[in-house]
Amino acid sequence: MEQPPSAFRLSRVEVQLGGNSVLRDIDLSIAAGERIALVGPSGAGKTTLLRVFTGVIGPRQGTVEVQGIPIHQLKPKALRKLRSRIGFVHQDHSLIPNLRVAQNVVAGRLGQRSLVPALRSMLWPNREELEEAHRLLERVGIADKLFQRTDSLSGGQQQRVALARALFQRPQSLLADEPVASVDPARSRSLIQLMVALAEEENWTLVVSLHDMELARDFFPRVIGLRKAHVFYDGSPQELDSTHIKELYQLEEEPHASST
Amino acid sequence: MKGGNPQIDALWKSRPRSRALRFSAWFALALVGCVWMFSNIQVAELWNAHRLENLHRFLSTRALPEPLRSHSGESLWLWCNQQMQAYGWRGLEATLEISVFAIVLAGFFGSLLGSFGARNLMSAHPFVPHATAGHGDCSHALDRVAQAMRILCILLRAIPEYIWAYLLLAMLGPNAWPAVLALAIHNSGILGRLAGETIENLPAEPLRAMTMAGATRKEVAVAGIFPMALGRYLLYFFYRFETCVREATVLGMLGIVSLGYFIFEARAHDQYDVLLFLVLLGGLLVMLADLVSDLARRWLRRGV
Repeated sequence: MEQPPSAFRLSRVEVQLGGNSVLRDIDLSIAAGERIALVGPSGAGKTTLLRVFTGVIGPRQGTVEVQGIPIHQLKPKALRKLRSRIGFVHQDHSLIPNLRVAQNVVAGRLGQRSLVPALRSMLWPNREELEEAHRLLERVGIADKLFQRTDSLSGGQQQRVALARALFQRPQSLLADEPVASVDPARSRSLIQLMVALAEEENWTLVVSLHDMELARDFFPRVIGLRKAHVFYDGSPQELDSTHIKELYQLEEEPHASST
Repeated sequence: MKGGNPQIDALWKSRPRSRALRFSAWFALALVGCVWMFSNIQVAELWNAHRLENLHRFLSTRALPEPLRSHSGESLWLWCNQQMQAYGWRGLEATLEISVFAIVLAGFFGSLLGSFGARNLMSAHPFVPHATAGHGDCSHALDRVAQAMRILCILLRAIPEYIWAYLLLAMLGPNAWPAVLALAIHNSGILGRLAGETIENLPAEPLRAMTMAGATRKEVAVAGIFPMALGRYLLYFFYRFETCVREATVLGMLGIVSLGYFIFEARAHDQYDVLLFLVLLGGLLVMLADLVSDLARRWLRRGV
């Protein structure tokens, strides 16, 4: 039987930013529907790796395949189409602060339409779109905020709007870059729980970068640990013992402060 | 600085001092002194007897409204009403029309110039730092467009409204258009620059999220930049509107019908009372525009 294509496949990938190697010699294959926690110290290359998955950053060497398609072969239009099916939850929410929640959610599908219908739906969402946005907000627990101004919401609520926007894309994969970095422990757990539940329901590939090893252990069957631009660990969280973790997060002699 | 903790004195002595600042202060002082002593503008001229007499005559007789001057018994209110019917309303209406037309045009073209001149929007990978994949290398062409727009903005605003109107008057004849276009052109340059800066100072993250979800540059511009930049742009728009009202009055001096034109005419006919009345009316209009613009900006600022 023919194997379905991997959601993401990286072969011998090297990425350089501003002359520095931020990812080196990365070989990874992530099957469709897998749930993965991406861990590692700040500056290890987690954000860059997630951006490589979306095709925003291209490798200097090696190949990146998304849904079996080598992305370096794609024309800009095809690449935009591919990106439009990858939901991305950003650490800083990345919402338009002075728009209503419904408009921010509907913006998730901007990349799937041509200019005029995309703008029409954002400025005047029709009943159908509002129903869908409302249903998604209900799913993330803030349905009553549909017509609120986004910047009037708390940080945790805004993170949920960002999740609803990614869901509105009807994505095949959901990537999240430290989505719980600015949320308290109880809310972090419930947000990750929600992401995992949604991914299981919809059979999405889910890759979440995290600093909380406990969350990684509790919700993800596979953990990828990055350290100094390399894959340091790739396996089940149960086998990731305290020595591994200590080594993974060990401070370097010259610590890198910048997030890549 | 004496007594007490000697460390304070030591710190005071070793405080950072700017040589440039001290030099500039001495230079400015010397400049004022030189101008005072050597320039051709004689301060005493302001105060010579002939001029004081002129001023006295102007204020006590010529600038006084006719009914007050001749004691003819005619009511002042009636006189004001007559001036309003003859020049005031027409002048006010024309001034306001010119400024509204001009600012709407300037607002539209300024936003276009600003968008095409904003370096963050006109890059090969708008708002995505370090992005490298999937685009042809169009960054040089986009850079050049942005640069051309910024130079155009400088050119438009470097030439004063008065000069634009003077040039346009020769081409279009004495109607409202030279004034409208002159104000629109000059203010497009100013608003273009301000719009460009507004866009460049927007937080990149929400716009980056749109690009990463597959949105095109145009979609990001209209769906992301437009709502985020609108409030601040309107602040600038109302501020320039206020200036347009003032300038529309001045442009009337060139012979374009606005309050300024009637002021010019009044002087030509030696009617200094009418002149003063119209000047005060112009001041009132500018104050009203100032108030409207201030209220609008205050209301907008709550959401910016």
